Amino acid sequence: MRNAPFVTNYLSEHLADDAYAKLAGYQRAGGYAAARRAVCELSPDEVIEQIEGSGLKGRGGAGFSAGRKWAFMPRDESPALLVCNADESEPGSFKDRLLLERAPHMILEGILIAAWATRAQKTFVYVRGEYATAAVAVERAVAEASKDGLLGDDIMGSGFHHEVVVVRGAGAYICGEETGLLESLEGKKGQPRKKPPYPSEYGAFGLPTTVNNVETFAHVPHIIANGVPWFRSFGTEDSPGTTLFGVSGQVLRPGLFELPLGTRLDEIVFEYAGGVPDGRKVKGVIPGGVSMPILPAGQLDVRMADEFLRERHTRLGTGGVIVMDDTTCMVRVASVISYFFRDESCGQCTQCREGTGWINKLVDRIERGAGEERDLEILLDIAGKLEGQTICAFSDAAAWPIQGLMRHFRSDFEAHLGAEKCPFPASFEL
Amino acid sequence: MWITIDDREIEVHEGRMLLQALDDAGLLGNDVDIPHFCWHPKLAIDGSCRLCQVEVEGESKLQIACDTKVVDGMVVRTDTDRVRNARAGVMELLLVNHPLDCPICDQAGECKLQDFAFDHGSPVSRSREPRRALAKNVAIGPEVVFDQERCILCRRCVRFCDEVTGTSELGIFGRGDASVVDTFPGRPLDNAYSMNVADLCPVGALTTRDFRFKLRVWDLDDVDGICTGCARGCNLHLGVAKGAVQRAVPRRNDAVNDTWICDEGRLSYHAIGAPDRLKEPQLRGTDGRLAPTDLATAVEVAAARIRRLVDAKGAGVFAGIASAHATNEDLFTFWKFLDALGAETRGVPVIRGQADGILIEAEKAANASGARELGFDVTGAIADRVRSGGVDAAIVFGHDILDAQFLGGTDALATLDTLIVLDLHQSELHHVADVVIPTLHAAEKDGTLTNSAGRVQRVRRAHEPAWPAWSEGSVISLLGAALGLAGFDGSWDVAAVSAELARSQPRFAGIDLASVGRGGRNIANAEDVTAPVDGEA
Repeated sequence: MRNAPFVTNYLSEHLADDAYAKLAGYQRAGGYAAARRAVCELSPDEVIEQIEGSGLKGRGGAGFSAGRKWAFMPRDESPALLVCNADESEPGSFKDRLLLERAPHMILEGILIAAWATRAQKTFVYVRGEYATAAVAVERAVAEASKDGLLGDDIMGSGFHHEVVVVRGAGAYICGEETGLLESLEGKKGQPRKKPPYPSEYGAFGLPTTVNNVETFAHVPHIIANGVPWFRSFGTEDSPGTTLFGVSGQVLRPGLFELPLGTRLDEIVFEYAGGVPDGRKVKGVIPGGVSMPILPAGQLDVRMADEFLRERHTRLGTGGVIVMDDTTCMVRVASVISYFFRDESCGQCTQCREGTGWINKLVDRIERGAGEERDLEILLDIAGKLEGQTICAFSDAAAWPIQGLMRHFRSDFEAHLGAEKCPFPASFEL
Repeated sequence: MWITIDDREIEVHEGRMLLQALDDAGLLGNDVDIPHFCWHPKLAIDGSCRLCQVEVEGESKLQIACDTKVVDGMVVRTDTDRVRNARAGVMELLLVNHPLDCPICDQAGECKLQDFAFDHGSPVSRSREPRRALAKNVAIGPEVVFDQERCILCRRCVRFCDEVTGTSELGIFGRGDASVVDTFPGRPLDNAYSMNVADLCPVGALTTRDFRFKLRVWDLDDVDGICTGCARGCNLHLGVAKGAVQRAVPRRNDAVNDTWICDEGRLSYHAIGAPDRLKEPQLRGTDGRLAPTDLATAVEVAAARIRRLVDAKGAGVFAGIASAHATNEDLFTFWKFLDALGAETRGVPVIRGQADGILIEAEKAANASGARELGFDVTGAIADRVRSGGVDAAIVFGHDILDAQFLGGTDALATLDTLIVLDLHQSELHHVADVVIPTLHAAEKDGTLTNSAGRVQRVRRAHEPAWPAWSEGSVISLLGAALGLAGFDGSWDVAAVSAELARSQPRFAGIDLASVGRGGRNIANAEDVTAPVDGEA
């Protein structure tokens, strides 16, 4: 862990401490005080009010207000569920993994508070199949918390009952889409559901369900413990709080950096991640996982929050920053990304099923030097046809990176047309 | 509640989705064109093909009509450039991996992909990438053949097996553009309704072994038919060419069979041209053998034998054993004949089997209800009468009476003085019959049948019989005239008989050949003619 030295890194300050993953260590650092305050002193509506007031946005990629999402849940005693989306699969993202492995009780505390607020009786923590260590860490934490009366019947003497079940996925990206997750959770093939009905109305097993990302839960205890003004002292007006930026790619110091939302991208890339090796230059940076459009080197002076990134035709996504230097072939990048989306499309909707395959085949042909001028227009046209026309946002996620690469690196594509082979010999191997 | 679609106001029911509402109104596919693949009126909404996108006023994105609830005052457009572009986009993407083998595909001519490509797609393909190479000619079940390459993954077949038959033999395997429909290992598509998936399949991916490579569909004439396999009376499209029925597919009737038919019923048209079909009238000669004759002679001989017997012993020795496969008109004529003759012994044997709770009913004949309504005893008591003696002569329609549920053989009939058989096919009855006259299949004649729910439905002559054959009603009419019975002059006009039936039988009031319509009318409620028929399917 390389923590930013000068900010209040409330999510990550103890991640290097092995004891923090254990109940005793977590409690020593003040853990579960917020949960106690929530279930013993605050009403569910008061909790929702605080979270809504804090402006906490979901950290899974879509950036929807967590408090508002909770407020959709029915306010009666009917059975309701909560799901912790730990199916972190966005290439370039690894923040949730660290939180699950190193701070499982922080997640559980957030879950407990959210469960109280949404009147849920049970939480499923859906962990990506490949995250074996994380799943074990959460299972251990659940056992510890249950033994200590932090989960189960009459939690902390409040009369509130809640249990947490850890479920492991089987490695499909689409199970990170909340309704795809719900299908998978029910034992079905992971395919997103058409909406409406939304999960708050008809979620897992037909019950009202809230689905939140791991990191979203992680912020919750801190907001309850320290208050809304404290939380809003980090980040921007529209995007308060810190977030965990995962920086990867051709940088000297890849890793996870907890920084306020709104931190400039060039600061993250050069100051925190150490920039690219000597003699190289940054060519482009993907700001938030591969489904977000890339930014060219000249546009890194952007603040990392949706309201600013949107102006540059991209989004914060999961905050997974991928840095590429000037040896990189952007057609090759398109090939890798389009292969990923072709492979991970669930195959329900026509545009996504057929479009992701077509884009991938076409990009590969361009990369081989067998492309023509008109292929570039076709590529953009198909990408356009994937946008906003399907059951879930996967097809947008498949289209945006291609549109971004074509927007900023069209010359790379053009350089391949009629070429014998890829003109970037030093680029990474496919 | 009213909505406006392309400037046209239509009344819709609350809670319905747009496509359902248009289907309810009978507009879909007729006046309003919203192309779709995955949506089907009798299956759960899937929302995956994305072809039915329309513009809804107030919504920034296009909406899929199959999954958009109607709202009072909703304004929908299906004809804007945005909608056209979205449709063209979906069509182009669906064709990227489709083999485009229409010239050798059975579905050509009734293929939704082909039709929509013409109506909404581009004539030119922009894709130069290799298409998916998948399994061809897969025997996924005893009756159905599957071509994975042609499949557009609309999942109608999968949903049918999940929702209608509950057998779930089919699934989608793999993801993305590696998705394929397939069966599970060791579990073929083998259920009583398996061939419906071929009708549901909008493309030529699922075809029936029965019709595969038989004919091009544009060479077929479409005639409305009724299945005679059981008392349900499922509605059929009979595909007729070269003077014969070449296939039967379900015809939508929401009051009878929705859009389905069982495999047995679908294949039952083969009985029409079966090798054991009776091909000419026959008379038993002095040598004890049946020999061919003409209809006039057969009727004359039959009349003479009946007359002699009735004159000698009275009509009490005469039994009329009709068939639940005959039409209301045939049965009505026979009833009048028996009345005129004074013969009280009459009945209709109805073979009973297993009902399945889907379509298949226990009564294994299409007109058991009609026979019942006209006063025939359908309990099988007629068999007991014959077995107990006292019957010397009989006219028998068909050979259901030989079933183990009734006589179980010809023994009880072998002792009769005179046995006149009117039948479609050869049977053991011929060993003991004195006169045999070939009759018509339901697809070769006009008339009406009454199904188990009391719905009177029309059968039509789809083609001339390949061999000389007559309806039971016309033969009985000739016989009545030959016997000099009151009310019989030897002529038999089915429309007139039907009209007379409607006039004389209160239960059939207002329901005759002319008024019954394509969807049939219920004797319990003659006004019940609202079921959508032959619409979207």
